[in-house]
Amino acid sequence: MKLELGKIFIKDIRFAEKTALQDGVLSVSKDDLREVALSEEKIKTVSFDIAKPGESVRITPVKDVIEPRVKVEGRGGVFPGVISGVDTVGSGKTYCLKGMAVVTAGPIVGFQEGVIDMSGPGADYTPFSKTLNLVVLCEPKEGTEAHDYERAVRMVGLKIATHLAELSKELSPDESQTYETLDLLEGMKAYPDLPRVAYVQMLQSQGLLHDTYVYGVDAKKILPTILYPTEDMDGAILSGNCVSACDKNPTYVHENNPVIEELFKQHGKTINFVAHVITNENVYLADKERSSNQTAKLCKMLHLDGVVVSEEGFGNPDTDLIMNCKKIEAEGIKTVLITDEYAGRDGKSQSLADADKAADALVTAGNANQVVVLPKLDKLIGTLDYITKIAGANADTLREDGSLEVELQVITGATSEVGFNKLSAR
Amino acid sequence: MNSFQIITNNPSLEGELSHRYPEAPIDVSFRKLSFRSVLTAVRDEIHGGAKLLSHPLSGSVKPLETPYKSVLIERRDGADLDLDSLSLIENAIQACDKFIEQDRIHIPELQKDFQLVDRSLILTAVDSLLSDF
Repeated sequence: MKLELGKIFIKDIRFAEKTALQDGVLSVSKDDLREVALSEEKIKTVSFDIAKPGESVRITPVKDVIEPRVKVEGRGGVFPGVISGVDTVGSGKTYCLKGMAVVTAGPIVGFQEGVIDMSGPGADYTPFSKTLNLVVLCEPKEGTEAHDYERAVRMVGLKIATHLAELSKELSPDESQTYETLDLLEGMKAYPDLPRVAYVQMLQSQGLLHDTYVYGVDAKKILPTILYPTEDMDGAILSGNCVSACDKNPTYVHENNPVIEELFKQHGKTINFVAHVITNENVYLADKERSSNQTAKLCKMLHLDGVVVSEEGFGNPDTDLIMNCKKIEAEGIKTVLITDEYAGRDGKSQSLADADKAADALVTAGNANQVVVLPKLDKLIGTLDYITKIAGANADTLREDGSLEVELQVITGATSEVGFNKLSAR
Repeated sequence: MNSFQIITNNPSLEGELSHRYPEAPIDVSFRKLSFRSVLTAVRDEIHGGAKLLSHPLSGSVKPLETPYKSVLIERRDGADLDLDSLSLIENAIQACDKFIEQDRIHIPELQKDFQLVDRSLILTAVDSLLSDF
């Protein structure tokens, strides 16, 4: 399967009478986007703002971050099973609006959303301080349940991203990159001497407000399965969760998964990147056993030499991580795990809630309990009403001078367990 | 005889469970306990032969960042100690002890959301259990 990803670099976003994209400048009509957003019946009001890198701006409570993409050639459409039909994606040609993001915000579950600072020390901890952000603030109608509100905001974000990406359909990309995965047999013939490596991605799937969708299917209901790595680039996997901001994978991160990027860079040189295996992280222990058994089985069927396994979340998923590791290693396949840590504020506590001697190669994406002070910024998009209540904050978080003392947990993407940020430890 | 039980300190669970699954053979044991004490109560049950069916650290809301915890077990009178269950619950208690209790867990207007998240997570475990029948 082969996908050409055309990148259209966005240099600026501004509000205008008419929504248009010209010479890298995205003009956005609020009225136009409001119509898109209010097509979701649970949304009462929507407002828009723009946050640019380096500005003294704080955005909170952040729900999801999305990169606009559109299919221009080949089968299917972006966000299959949700925005487009259920055709298999990952081939042909897709355009993406690089350098920008649609950021959805709203207090869905007051203690579970995140913070993005566009400047200051907080900006160093979130990858989304480097994007031009179109912020979409959604308020629900009276009486809307949290899960209906989550769904509505998720749909608003995806619809707006799709609407904006459509503007690029007739343009020529500034840069293009092609990714290709051969079929199993062809791949074996093409790279007979290279180690066969797959990516095992664990998807957050613990339940309501902890969900991920694959082709529109709730990931807790899937058996582990195999994708071509390019399917993810067309939005086959998307975030529906409101879990800890620091280590959940926003939709943007699924579209731009750095593990997939890095494995493609080594593909044909040091490894044969065979497949993308996805599995889940359910609450019910028998589900965990079933999924890890199936994941190890798929790895064996693919005749792999090694896998990279990434986790999403803490606690319950640590058990899935270790089960996957033990069972895949038992098949004679080497594993490298990617996780983050909840090692206490001093970093001295046990980092994971589970462990095993088979887990002898592990990359950390940082300690989510690390305390940082975020100075007061000039402008706030959203509300600070929830800042003392979100995970990683407390009643003393908001200090007299307006600064915030928080754990990294509150910062969107700070300890990304697919390595989308820069933190680690030795 | 084996039976299923949810040990919980979440007052919203029993009503919701009986509403959604009026026929479910699951007993809800509501106890006015702290988050950590729910885990130790579950540990006691495991020493009495029970088996864990849901992960004790379910949910992204960390121990002591929420007051509520519900855990699904299978009571097995006279059964041998299940070492996997014991290991999971001991690890969970150890993980719990490294978190600092957050004062936000006492904020009245958050209780409904905390209860909702805990309830919805344990109900996904109940869904899985019932689909096994």
